Amino acid sequence: MYSLNVNGVSHSVNVDGSTPLLWVLRDVLGLTGTKYGCGIEVCGACTVLVNGQPEKSCDMDTSEAAGKTIVTIEGLSANRSHPAQQAWIAHQVPQCGYCQSGMIMACAGAMQAGHHGNEILSEMNNICVCGTYARIKDAVQGL
Amino acid sequence: MTLPAEILAGARAPAMDRRGFLTLGAKGLVVAFAMPLVGRSAVVHAQAATPPTTQQLANAYVQVGTDGSITLWFGGSEMGQGAMSGLAQILAEELMVDWNQVTVKQAGVDPIVSYLTGGSSAVSRRYGTLRNAAAAARELLIAAAMTKTGDANRDSYAAKSATVMYTNPVSHLVTTWPYSALATLAASQTVPADLRLTDPGKFRLIGQPVPRVDIPSKVDGSAKYGIDTWLPNMVFAAIKHCPVIGGTLASTPSKPSGAVAVVPCKASDTRGAVTAGSVNAVAVVASNTWLAMRLANNLSVSWKLPASTAGVDSAAILAQAQGLMAGGQALCAEPAPPTGTTPASYATQLEPAVKAALGTPTIDATYTLPYLAHATMEVVSCTVNIVFSTAGVAQSCEIWAPTQAAAWVQQTAAGLTGVAPTQITVHTTFLGGGLGRKIEQDYVSQAVQVAMAVKKPVKLTWRREEDFAHDQYRPFALVNVKATLASGRIAAWSYRNVSQAILGQRGWLPPGAVDSQATEGSTGLPYNRGTHIVEWVPLPAGIPVGFWRSVGSSINAFAVESMIDELARAAGADPFQFRYDNMTDDRARAVLWAADILSSSWRNSLPAGHAWGVAIAESFGTWVAQVVDISQPSAGSMKVNRIACVVDCGTVINPDSVQAQMQGGIVHAMNAALWGQMTFTAGKAAQLNFNNYRMMRINDMPQITVQIMQSTNPPSGIGEPGVPPLAPALANAYARLTGTRVRTLPFFAGAGSGSDD
Repeated sequence: MYSLNVNGVSHSVNVDGSTPLLWVLRDVLGLTGTKYGCGIEVCGACTVLVNGQPEKSCDMDTSEAAGKTIVTIEGLSANRSHPAQQAWIAHQVPQCGYCQSGMIMACAGAMQAGHHGNEILSEMNNICVCGTYARIKDAVQGL
Repeated sequence: MTLPAEILAGARAPAMDRRGFLTLGAKGLVVAFAMPLVGRSAVVHAQAATPPTTQQLANAYVQVGTDGSITLWFGGSEMGQGAMSGLAQILAEELMVDWNQVTVKQAGVDPIVSYLTGGSSAVSRRYGTLRNAAAAARELLIAAAMTKTGDANRDSYAAKSATVMYTNPVSHLVTTWPYSALATLAASQTVPADLRLTDPGKFRLIGQPVPRVDIPSKVDGSAKYGIDTWLPNMVFAAIKHCPVIGGTLASTPSKPSGAVAVVPCKASDTRGAVTAGSVNAVAVVASNTWLAMRLANNLSVSWKLPASTAGVDSAAILAQAQGLMAGGQALCAEPAPPTGTTPASYATQLEPAVKAALGTPTIDATYTLPYLAHATMEVVSCTVNIVFSTAGVAQSCEIWAPTQAAAWVQQTAAGLTGVAPTQITVHTTFLGGGLGRKIEQDYVSQAVQVAMAVKKPVKLTWRREEDFAHDQYRPFALVNVKATLASGRIAAWSYRNVSQAILGQRGWLPPGAVDSQATEGSTGLPYNRGTHIVEWVPLPAGIPVGFWRSVGSSINAFAVESMIDELARAAGADPFQFRYDNMTDDRARAVLWAADILSSSWRNSLPAGHAWGVAIAESFGTWVAQVVDISQPSAGSMKVNRIACVVDCGTVINPDSVQAQMQGGIVHAMNAALWGQMTFTAGKAAQLNFNNYRMMRINDMPQITVQIMQSTNPPSGIGEPGVPPLAPALANAYARLTGTRVRTLPFFAGAGSGSDD
């Protein structure tokens, strides 16, 4: 049994400690906004904030996440009010949208670390197969 | 992706079939529109032979509710291309409602509304249909108002913002009714014979960059993809295929500790029919996806391997293709064989004249293109809930799938469960990328087989490694082009493509016929080629091949536009000027000229170490020209700095979506041209994840400028046409920069992940 603090709510989860955080979020807590992409920390679709840092949840053990503050896309803001979410809408960034939870969380993490504009871009290396990069570049300019 | 003509035939007919207009008074007004059944292929729409039932017609295109709702029932698949919004824009335009008054709902499988999403047709081929349906709904509402006033003069009425306004011609007094107040009455009116369509010059929404309806849900995690489906009491499954293509299960492995079940799964074809004796995978069922994936990955399975793997081995396939290039029997795709002459005999008949005209070719070049994976961001996933009788007989079935072909999902499930199609509900979720992969039924079939076996709701999710290793790949191709110049003009042209048949592998190709998927992009070129022939030689390899964004054009545009550039160089001509000089198509010329002008500001003043290249291609009725600026920061690398892209896609529905699809097509093409390659050793795929199948990252992104041609032509596709010209434009720039002509893709084989991490 592990205690996970996700989006400000404490959850007790009865899983093997080696279960990746991604799958606890998705299959146990029902927070499906965080996506499975590669399972090997390469694509970034599963990015969440752990103690404010962007982390790829597909390769983070639940035992390691326990006791830390976890924020997923569902908990980033109420009503899509985070500036990154607003910028993503204003610039009509998503196409299929599948990678965008991870993209936005990577952006939010970089912002939380005090980065702005192009500095945020240098912190983002997630994969988007639709190729929304041009619009992400535009979207972060005002952040 | 593109599809054979017979599959899209039903979607092409512009004429309206009044039998399709149905009304459901109880709910308000529902206007459905049936594509004419004539010409609709039995292969695809067997269900269209039966008249639709009332219940099916509840899923009509356009619904005006008595509660004030205006609903578009969307019968396609939203995979990022903006189809859901594009169709809603057309509806809102002709129905005379505001953009924020429309709600879009995903339709179930329905003979009128459902369609297969492919061929860049989702919006373009429904433009006329939906305009008519929406205009009909508007006129029915006005007819309802006429019954209230007794004035049948149409000119006394106007419609705006979901309101009908009547101006009394005598008193000049004005009366208004919201559509909701007219909806029930409208349902019993008749559509006028001369339907008024909005003058395109007065469009309010068509042609405007209105915000897409699906975007808000895609920034807060609430958008539901197939992989996100959740049902009470469901179990989770992962798949393990025989790692060798063509292998089958030797014996069912015992259930590993911690698993709910192990289920052997039969293979199935594109439309879901299972192949007898073809158990090529086992599903492991567990209490969560990760556990199922881990157990499946670790499962020890005894496989029966095929006797020979020569047909599924990259080196052997290359050798086979080279043999066929030199001595195989070709089929003639262009000129079109006359009636009564087979493509094979016509090729044999024409070859001597073409050979004579060629003499010693100015250029004789062979281009090699690799197999490519789709690698959609969302792996394939399907959720199935079957209701069984107490005797254990399947009675009804509900399926959630990120599919490009909902009707085939229904068909797949019907075949496996014995449940009547009317008792099978298909929910098309958002697709985390489709790219042609999610037309296939393999994963749907497996999920249904597992649900039948475990008799519980089940969600099947493939591991990424299975997704790479068991795709239906963009075909490998070897293309030889010989051409001869006379006074700077192409005097003779011989084009021979050796590749697998996508349609043939599905049994959709008559024996001896040319596979349209293999030759698209190599025929009907915008250039006068003098004495010419375009041939295809079927390659009988065993790698599963399928529809990959822009399909054959992704191969043929590379060979054609590389060759054109090689000829320009041989002629000592500017690549633009050489194209203009040999071009016969005015629409292509205009697009090329626009790209010439758009890029001229930087093209003629590039810094040292940079070079430009151009290419143009038509696919799905849309012309795209791209000019690239590249440099080489170090040996064996390439940086793409800038791209000018001009597109002519006829009437533009949403210019922002057109721009997005051009940007996305360019990225997709760059991934493929620079790094994309699937290789197989004795039937086993060598690339299994993004760590050795490189995809662009944001720091690889060039600056892209997209310009759209003003046009009054009917809309044509936008999802795929951004792909084909990019690879040849890069190769043409690379030749200019380095003096080396790259005729084999990708440029940089064996790339890693591209991530700094």
